[in-house]
Amino acid sequence: MMTTGSSHYDLDRMGIIFRGSPRQADFMIVAGTVTKKMSEIVRRVYDQMPEPRYVVSMGSCACSGGIFNTYSTVQGCDTFVPVDIYVPGCPPRPEALMEGIIKLQEKIRAEHFRWSRWR
Amino acid sequence: MENTETGERTVETKDLQISMGPQHPATHGVLRLVLDLDGETVKKCTPYVGYLHRGVEKLGENRTYLAALPLTDRLDYISSMNNNVGYVNAVEKLFGIEAPERAKFIRTIVAEMGRISSHIIWLGTHVLDIGATTPFLYAFRERERILDLFEMLCGARLTVSYPRIGGVKNDISQEFMDELYDFVLDFPSRIDDYETLVTENRIWKERTVGIGVISAEEAVNWGLTGGTLRGSGVDYDVRKYAPYDAYGQVDFDVPVGRNGDCYDRYIVRMQEMRQANRIIQQCIEKLPTGPVMADAPKFTLPSKEMILKDMEHLIHQFVLISKGPAAPEGEVYMGSEVPKGELGFYFISDGTGKPYRMRVRAPSFVHASVLPRLCEGGLVADVIANIGTIDIVLGECDR
Amino acid sequence: MEPLEIAENIREKFPEEVLDVREFRGQVSVTLRKDRILDVCRHLHDSPDLFCDYLVDVCGVDYLGRKEKRFEVVYHLYSIRHRHSVRLKAEVPEQDAEIDSVTSIWAGANWHEREAFDLYGITFKGHPDHRRILLPEDWEGHPLRKDYPVKGPEKEWSGFQDVLDRAKRFHEFEWHEPGE
Repeated sequence: MMTTGSSHYDLDRMGIIFRGSPRQADFMIVAGTVTKKMSEIVRRVYDQMPEPRYVVSMGSCACSGGIFNTYSTVQGCDTFVPVDIYVPGCPPRPEALMEGIIKLQEKIRAEHFRWSRWR
Repeated sequence: MENTETGERTVETKDLQISMGPQHPATHGVLRLVLDLDGETVKKCTPYVGYLHRGVEKLGENRTYLAALPLTDRLDYISSMNNNVGYVNAVEKLFGIEAPERAKFIRTIVAEMGRISSHIIWLGTHVLDIGATTPFLYAFRERERILDLFEMLCGARLTVSYPRIGGVKNDISQEFMDELYDFVLDFPSRIDDYETLVTENRIWKERTVGIGVISAEEAVNWGLTGGTLRGSGVDYDVRKYAPYDAYGQVDFDVPVGRNGDCYDRYIVRMQEMRQANRIIQQCIEKLPTGPVMADAPKFTLPSKEMILKDMEHLIHQFVLISKGPAAPEGEVYMGSEVPKGELGFYFISDGTGKPYRMRVRAPSFVHASVLPRLCEGGLVADVIANIGTIDIVLGECDR
Repeated sequence: MEPLEIAENIREKFPEEVLDVREFRGQVSVTLRKDRILDVCRHLHDSPDLFCDYLVDVCGVDYLGRKEKRFEVVYHLYSIRHRHSVRLKAEVPEQDAEIDSVTSIWAGANWHEREAFDLYGITFKGHPDHRRILLPEDWEGHPLRKDYPVKGPEKEWSGFQDVLDRAKRFHEFEWHEPGE
């Protein structure tokens, strides 16, 4: 994700910048393994985002638990947040993440009546 | 409120307790710090870790030695080559086998490339937190070249599983050597670029000189290793004290600081990048010919071409993968120098193909514990500088 | 100093504490009783020819069913000045799973001992901050014990169950039903 944001695979040309606070964000990338201790905080960050909001689940661990099927990992972040785009890979290549984000942009463009009667 | 007797006004203050929570742009991962503040001064700092605890040690007990190798990739996911090299050396010591010379030199080369890559991320994120955005973008340009080289070598950029028990997975190509040599000749001028921006910078010096000072005896007592320890003047480096792989056959210096503050640790790591470059150059020149996998049929897999042709090799591979290599009974501890410090693997083997106990001694775990000692008494802005200077990765800290 | 010499030194100084000395691949493990572990460690830290100033690691091991005393606490010590290392193993029985903490000698043992308590349930007497570290504070059970399943117990941890319930409740406020 850091590589996708820096100069070689620039995310800024897709119109995406990283924000410091969830209150000013449009979408949230859940990257890496989500543990049960952290699940509460991820859910809280999701609740703090204003609508319209989207979630991209990046990496095999966030999508489905990955190779860590243990007592403390959540088997996929979609058990407690609604996910729009899944980007598999361990770790996903920067190009894969960019494709996922572009697909999210296409999905938003094709949306109809999802957040209210007008959008 | 007003004191009616003397007519003076007294002001009541209360300490503020804030949680620099797990989700924070500047904490390099899911680290939670609860700070008790008196104005801007930190009176008490309590770190909470465990938000990335995945049970790697428990998983390691249920997998064979070969199957536990990808778990070690994902410990310190930034420098996964070094974790693999540490794991493989510990397992080879347990089994009593030794990798061929060519494999040792290749492992040294990729370990040093991983060290440069990890220090580049450290540099980029540390200065980004303090406020400088440019070195981050410059440094990642070099990291792209290293990751492209890894991809040329073994197919994966980040979580490679290239060093294997008994050697490495496949031999290196001439194209890789040429590109690597270009990189090695070019890199010192790039480090000069980064140093021009940061080292003599007035703002950088204000933010890091005299911050997070820890003396040599105290640093050793807390169990610090790697760049964090060498900034305080102790020259403990596992590559010099207990050499493994080809470190005994190459010539390099270990940079050591003096004052034990953030600035000295920064200088130590920049110099380490230069020394790593020097090691790679020497390894390329001294690289011997030969096989890249040890000839120890009870512990190592045969090559893929032989498996696809011959029945006996197929059965051999089947037995090794399903039941695991027959490790001798005993226990072994081996430390290796990863960019963050000393990564130690402690194996207790009971004679079966799976380790009875796999213990990972993670340097980031120990470094995160020293945060209260560094931060208490300083300002909130210094907390950010301290988190950057101890160079932790939460994947390794929590395992 | 050679590793076996260090073991002999410990055996001379504390003859009743040392139960076993074993060597494998050039590394020596000294098995001790847990009662005077603090004295042994202080001797190793202060004595000038041993001077083990660097505590590398403290970890726990579970020998369920294989040994009489169920747990062992393993200390790895190293001396930067003399470049020698030694491994101490202190046996801890299951019923009285308590051992002295060495944080008064090495400050770095603090978090290692908290982790041993968290994952095995071994308590450390005299530890300044004795609570769980890697798992949530109210987690039940000690995961790295041999009788704890890898995927976790049947009953989910209460904190995660709360998150799942909350997600289900908030779902009714969503405007758009999935699949619609």
